[in-house]
Amino acid sequence: MSVSPPRLQAVAVTKSYGATTALENVSLDLAAGEVHAVLGENGAGKSTLVKILSGVIAPNSGQMRLDGAVYAPHSILHARQAGVATAFQELSLAPNLTVAEALLLPAMKRGAFGLVSPYQTARAAAEILHRYRLDDVSPIAGIASLSLAHRQRLEIARAMHYAEKVLILDEPTAALTDVEWLFDLVRSTTAAGTAVLYISHRLAEVRTLCKQATVLRNGRSVASVGLSDASDADIFELMVGRTEMAHGRRTHSFARETRSALELNNVTGAKLKGVTLDVKEGEIVGIAALEGQGQRELFRTLVGLDKATSGQILVGGKPVQPKSPRHAIAAGLSFLPEERKVEGIFSTLSTAANIVLPVIQNISRTGFVWPALERHSAARASEGVELNPRYLDFRIADLSGGNQQKALLARAMFTGARTLLLYDPTRGVDVGTKQAIYAAIQAFADRGGSVLLYSSELTELTRLADRCLVLYGARIFEQFTGEAIEERALVAALTGHSRDPAKSKREAAA
Amino acid sequence: MSILATKAAATSHRLAPSMPARAKALLASGTGIIIVLYIILYGLYSIWDPTALTADTVLNLTNNAVPLAIAAAGQTLIVLSRGFDLSVAGVISLTNVIMAAYPLDGPLGAVESLAICLAIGGVVGLVNGFLVAVLRLQSIAATLATMIICQGLSLVILDAPGGTVADFISYDLTDVLFGVIPISGLFVAAVVVLWMICRRTAFGTGLYVVGADETAAHLSGINVKRVRILSFVIGGMLYGLAGFMLSAQTATGNPNAGASFLMLTFAAVALGGTSLSGGRGSVIASIIGAATLMLLQKVLFAGGVSSFYTGIFQGVVLVLAVVFGNVVTHFVERRGAT
Amino acid sequence: MTEAHPPGATVAPAPRAQRQTERVADNRRTARLRPETITAVCVFGISILLVLGSRFVSPALGSWDHVNTIILLASFLIVVAFGQGIVIMIGGLDLSVPALITLGGVLTTSWIDASSGMSLPLIPAILLICACIGGISGLGVTLLRIPPFIMTMATGIITASAALGLTSGTPRGAAPPILTALMKASWIGIPVILLFILAFAILGSVLQGRTSYGRRLTAIGANPVAAHVAGIAVRSSVLIAYMLSAAASGFAGMMLAGYANGATLRMGDDYLLPSIAAVVIGGSSILGGSGSFVATIGGAILLTALSTVISALGIPQGWRTVIEGSIILIALLLLRENTFAFLRRRLAR
Repeated sequence: MSVSPPRLQAVAVTKSYGATTALENVSLDLAAGEVHAVLGENGAGKSTLVKILSGVIAPNSGQMRLDGAVYAPHSILHARQAGVATAFQELSLAPNLTVAEALLLPAMKRGAFGLVSPYQTARAAAEILHRYRLDDVSPIAGIASLSLAHRQRLEIARAMHYAEKVLILDEPTAALTDVEWLFDLVRSTTAAGTAVLYISHRLAEVRTLCKQATVLRNGRSVASVGLSDASDADIFELMVGRTEMAHGRRTHSFARETRSALELNNVTGAKLKGVTLDVKEGEIVGIAALEGQGQRELFRTLVGLDKATSGQILVGGKPVQPKSPRHAIAAGLSFLPEERKVEGIFSTLSTAANIVLPVIQNISRTGFVWPALERHSAARASEGVELNPRYLDFRIADLSGGNQQKALLARAMFTGARTLLLYDPTRGVDVGTKQAIYAAIQAFADRGGSVLLYSSELTELTRLADRCLVLYGARIFEQFTGEAIEERALVAALTGHSRDPAKSKREAAA
Repeated sequence: MSILATKAAATSHRLAPSMPARAKALLASGTGIIIVLYIILYGLYSIWDPTALTADTVLNLTNNAVPLAIAAAGQTLIVLSRGFDLSVAGVISLTNVIMAAYPLDGPLGAVESLAICLAIGGVVGLVNGFLVAVLRLQSIAATLATMIICQGLSLVILDAPGGTVADFISYDLTDVLFGVIPISGLFVAAVVVLWMICRRTAFGTGLYVVGADETAAHLSGINVKRVRILSFVIGGMLYGLAGFMLSAQTATGNPNAGASFLMLTFAAVALGGTSLSGGRGSVIASIIGAATLMLLQKVLFAGGVSSFYTGIFQGVVLVLAVVFGNVVTHFVERRGAT
Repeated sequence: MTEAHPPGATVAPAPRAQRQTERVADNRRTARLRPETITAVCVFGISILLVLGSRFVSPALGSWDHVNTIILLASFLIVVAFGQGIVIMIGGLDLSVPALITLGGVLTTSWIDASSGMSLPLIPAILLICACIGGISGLGVTLLRIPPFIMTMATGIITASAALGLTSGTPRGAAPPILTALMKASWIGIPVILLFILAFAILGSVLQGRTSYGRRLTAIGANPVAAHVAGIAVRSSVLIAYMLSAAASGFAGMMLAGYANGATLRMGDDYLLPSIAAVVIGGSSILGGSGSFVATIGGAILLTALSTVISALGIPQGWRTVIEGSIILIALLLLRENTFAFLRRRLAR
């Protein structure tokens, strides 16, 4: 056994899309029974690596070996047959299937005449569900009727069912409420000799499960580290490429007595259970929440994408009922949406046109657009977010994700709104862009604007927010101000509802 | 059927939907609505026209509806996988003129003709499938091109209406079996049976998954390309069959015979409640949708509506059916989510 | 950078560390070269070559007269394709085009025959009626969420039926002089229709490319969800697009009536597929969000020029249609995104 080759080995794997290199010379060794972490920021190449290992895409160069034999999967199915299965981050369950179909696709159980038998399929699925302790899911339930957490469990269970040799888990806890369920199953999987590749950006989780981690940065493998020897700061440095990023808390330049720019009184509806909060002029209010605690609905309600059933929204002291984003903009609320590709960019338009679009009527004369004026306005808007003006003439689809995000932030600011609603503004962008976005947000607040900021990264909140509210169960659960905004306290509040609410309250008061 | 929050063993779950659940699902789906609509229309028809329930009328209605029903069945396959197939018009014209220009008589001739029609449809479908699945052209644009090409080829074969379809095909295939069963109806029945088999193959499931979420389908290990190509090929063969049945019915050739089928197949598919954005619907519902469209004409005529204005009713019924279907689906999905 | 760093900010300016992730950025000139421009140049180029080349086919072709004939015959298609292009731009499809052409023509000949003195005010009235019918399509698409394909099909069937009933099956009357003049008269030696199409082309391109409304249409087509989130009035913009398309079809019907000095109930039938074909050949994505009216005009002219040349060659209608279909197919294959990526990479060198 001592000379047995690693279960999965990747050597110098490279993948590029056109001129963009997503993954460059990445190598990886995975021993049988090992849980190996892949760490990296959003956009570091983790997903590309997952897709290559699971057979979704083929690498441009490099080699992979499974138990010493050449492993070059040309499809998911091919990888699955070789014993490699993946639970994808974007959940590969079509909404119009039943649980049983989703679990067994594409090879469902057959009955008479070689035809698919729904009954046999459901029975086989019930066994799988039972084995992975998902007895509360009916095999004939529709995927669409399941909660996000259940869908994620199903995705994981399916991967475990097929993973004889290697199990790849891509951000498996993004929507999971019960992490212990996953940990137990991962442990029993590895006990059977399966190697697990665990992709996550949650260091705490990684530390409980893994001993060894590969760190990716900008598509390259920067280090393979033993997790017991490395401190959080060490790993963080490897991930972002420079040590100091987390410190430098915002200085509180605004006066406490300023007026409220945005006030919510007991806003209910669209899943929200009575949210009360206010954002002062010149203040950055952070929202911290685990997945699915109502943060999405909160932002969507504020811009009229979801409807509030009761409660009051005041903008600058005046009550408003946002019916659509257009009304919200008119009222002075500008929204940076969550999904850049789906809700943000217009891929066929130039960057300049993308930036000025919401207020195109303001920069057009009697309905006509003057390109020079448009470009000039866009150039002015892009200064604030450090977007290089040479990109303004490009189609926005040709820009990197970071520059697209800068353009969208420029768009949000260019509407002239006094209040920005930023939903995870640094999702999937590189470090340089992050810095620029932070600077732009702070400058906006320093000029007297107000910001409501949700972020999935707590460091972002500890660094930017003047006040931080924790959303739990679709209502405001905790509030931290100034120096009390501290990562450990936030984590406790995010998850601490059931553990020890009294303790987190005391911390908040301190 | 939502999640049952029990801690019992896996076997405690139902492994098949209960009868009430099935009945509810059928009613909520497009199939239920279109069946009810058809029955209501037939009721009206029998009030206004006393001959409505005679075997002769039934035969006539069936023969009229069969080509559209089969063509709509083919279109449904493509629509389910989130595509549009405009080549339906071209294939029907092409097969029709070939049947009229090169008649093959006798039962054997009929079989040969049928094989030729299926082959033509299959080849056109293969080209469409290749253009859409492999070269990744938009289905609506790619099939527009193949439709125009097929239309042109029909004109090359027969530049004006004319020709005669073989007698065996035009007489015997439009007749009745044992005095009551329309033979053309048997072809539709065969399509329905094939569909029910197909529904329970990997391809059948793949069709729905690809239509609902192509990425998810790909990540679930479904061969998306194969499903798409197969849907176009089978769809094309069904158009070929539709052209065959149309020729049997009209007994003559017309290079523009398929033109009217372009819109009508989509109307039938939409009436049957199949979602034009893919992933939801049924071939059977489209077949009944096609029958409803043809019945509607008779009903309007029997009801004394001037033939000038039948279009107004058809259009309104189409819109109402789609709106009603949307409302029902919305309602059911709401209920299902809670 | 002046406002971005007020004294309070503690953040250092972002270093230009992101270079490696931005290799996509090529130089500005080629990035500015939009696919629409390339397509327009190509399509017009092919049309011109075709017309010049047709001299070898027949001495009557390739002349100024031939060009005038092409423009005259293409004028109907250009007007229809303007509307179709706008609807395709927002990700829809207008199948009611033939019915509205017929309605426009039928209303013109039957009404203006009855009151020939009032021809001028009646033209906008008829256009308004057509626009209202387009409005019904628009309302169905936006409010009732009926797929455009089905909704415009339904309004098409209804409109055609109404036109049939209105005329009791046989359209009567003749075109008013003003329309006949538009199609047939000349002004200082230049055909009026040529001037009209030129003006129409300029107005149409300005509307699509240089107005805030046109910009909104492109945005809606490119990403309807993002358009709503960005605060664009999606519903009213879409509604207006269908109204414009219907009015354009109606006007094409009037032009046809003026050209043939009468109307028939099937006069619109031959324009549905060519209108879509012209837009597609002009490089617009059938999914919406891209395209230019100039390139669409090129597509319409190419299709028309081709059919004049082919009919002069004596090729039967059938083969002519086959060639048309093949050209659409070739255009589609050439216009795929990677062709442009390839061209740009080449030009960037």
